Amino acid sequence: MAVVTLDKLTKVYDRGHAPAADSVSLEIRHGEFMVLLGPSGCGKTTTLRMVAGLEAISSGTLSIDGRVVNQVPAKDRDIAMVFQSYALYPHMSVADNLAFGLRRRSVPRPEIKRRVEAVAGTLGLSGLLDRKPHALSGGQRQRVALGRAIVRDPKVFLFDEPLSNLDAALRVSTRGEIGKLHRRLGATMIYVTHDQVEAMTLGQRICIMNGGKVVQVGAPLEVYKRPTNTFVAAFLGNPPMNLLPATATGTSDGLAIRFGETTVVLPAQRVPRLAAGSSVTFGIRPESISEGRRNGAAYASLEAEVVQVEPLGAETIIAARVPGVERDVMARIGADRNVAVGAKCTFSLDLSAVHVFDASGIALAPRA
Amino acid sequence: MQVLRRALLLLALCAYTSFAAGPFVWAAMLSLRTTTEIHRNHFALPAPAHWAKFSEAWFNSNYGVYFANSTQIVVSAVLILTIAGSMAAHCLARYRFRFNRVIYFILFSTIIFPPQITIISLFQILVQYGLYNSKIGLTLVYVAIQLPLTIYILESFFARIPSDLFDAARIDGYSDWEIFWRVSLPIALPAVSTTVILNFILLWNEFLYAVVLITEEANRTLPLGIQRFIGDTQEDVGMIATGLMIAIIPVVVVYVFFSERLIQGMTAGAVK
Repeated sequence: MAVVTLDKLTKVYDRGHAPAADSVSLEIRHGEFMVLLGPSGCGKTTTLRMVAGLEAISSGTLSIDGRVVNQVPAKDRDIAMVFQSYALYPHMSVADNLAFGLRRRSVPRPEIKRRVEAVAGTLGLSGLLDRKPHALSGGQRQRVALGRAIVRDPKVFLFDEPLSNLDAALRVSTRGEIGKLHRRLGATMIYVTHDQVEAMTLGQRICIMNGGKVVQVGAPLEVYKRPTNTFVAAFLGNPPMNLLPATATGTSDGLAIRFGETTVVLPAQRVPRLAAGSSVTFGIRPESISEGRRNGAAYASLEAEVVQVEPLGAETIIAARVPGVERDVMARIGADRNVAVGAKCTFSLDLSAVHVFDASGIALAPRA
Repeated sequence: MQVLRRALLLLALCAYTSFAAGPFVWAAMLSLRTTTEIHRNHFALPAPAHWAKFSEAWFNSNYGVYFANSTQIVVSAVLILTIAGSMAAHCLARYRFRFNRVIYFILFSTIIFPPQITIISLFQILVQYGLYNSKIGLTLVYVAIQLPLTIYILESFFARIPSDLFDAARIDGYSDWEIFWRVSLPIALPAVSTTVILNFILLWNEFLYAVVLITEEANRTLPLGIQRFIGDTQEDVGMIATGLMIAIIPVVVVYVFFSERLIQGMTAGAVK
């Protein structure tokens, strides 16, 4: 286990171009499972590669257990990495792939054999030790890649989108295996993915990145429920949060938000510090919108025309057109609700789950 | 319909085999017959077979020396080409450095010069450095003329090796030097075998540079030895065929040994 500290870590590939990673500051705690999440090109893999020692650090400091390792080569950082492509040596057997790193570290042969057999046993690879990687399935290759990292018993495990090449079913089961592995080893793990489901299910904390910068760091539910800006709000969730351009208007009760022809009066505890007339973005997740009218101050009504219905079995996703609003509003409703395309419906918005962002997309904190 | 298709396929294969193997079988038959017998009937079977012609060529016509010279020169050149070529190809494919593509272009552009253009300069250089008429000189010339093509073939193969493998090896603790020997080279073995066999065949049969740069009997190679049987007014066809067979056998052996890898190298990337 180890503490990994990134202090304003920056990577510039070409002068004059934007940095691939821009002042990334982050502390990964002992035994923590940290997920770096973001869209393609956001700098998450570059950051991971800097931690691994595969990319030179342009500026900033990287420490492992308090020791600055900027100039320490990859082999001396006591880390292991699992690659998206598995990176198994095709000319070596599974056993040789597992033992390759140990041989370089002059581990005695009997000890190598013991460790390889132990890891193979744990990952269900015992019967495959003599096979070459091309004779393995995708899932088996992924397990060998995991085994190669485990057998080294490193301080830090790094994962670079390790499930991307697997089919959907295998991805779910391997995801579970990685989670179990973390619980069993208790090791510090940094996991890069663009898949929010992987991030939400595996990560103890998620670091969301965009444009080379860290946008938000927090526990999965925290970043989901309290996004700091519209990027995080839109990136997490499927369908993502509804973000509607709106205007703040004053009322006798406090603050109301107007989008299109609809006005929503915010409850006192949700009212951010905002001048009337300001341009804002009104955000609400699809699961916080229900079909039918609900009475009480905790809900606001919304009249809309259903333009698309996607029954998914366990639930139904609805796209509805709100008068005066350009973008369709998405709602996640129970599968038992019978809604037809073209129907004019009343939806209820759960006001306890409403988000308000300022004109630059930053979340506005409710008034204390 | 199935039978007809199979028969047509077999027929085509037989025709191609005859076309490809015919000259070899004919030369093999000629090598066991005397020139008088050959002039009497060009295509007759070697009855009786004159096996003694091989020992005569080997001992009396100095073929043993030519064979040893060819082996020394070609094996050394192929060895240097394989090691230097694969190292250069690995560097050009793997490392990003300034003028990488310029160096690659300069190396590759030398392929466009026909040997007749460079041979005079090479002759001058070898004379100047005291390498004219020496096996070392011819070896170096062979390395120089084949290196660009070797690098070209290998570079494209090395470039296809995923960089993740190098990164994984670096994390496993291996240096760049070790990564080349323990990861890159074994993976590129099909392409390396392809260059070994191509270089071996080309250099084993090479005549032009050898005839210009070697004049001493003790340093002659096999293709020059075969020339000895070609006179101004007549040719000893029987001995030429025997000499050819002695020259061909190592090529066939090398091909048989490396053929599987050669096919792998040539078809690499064709099938996912």
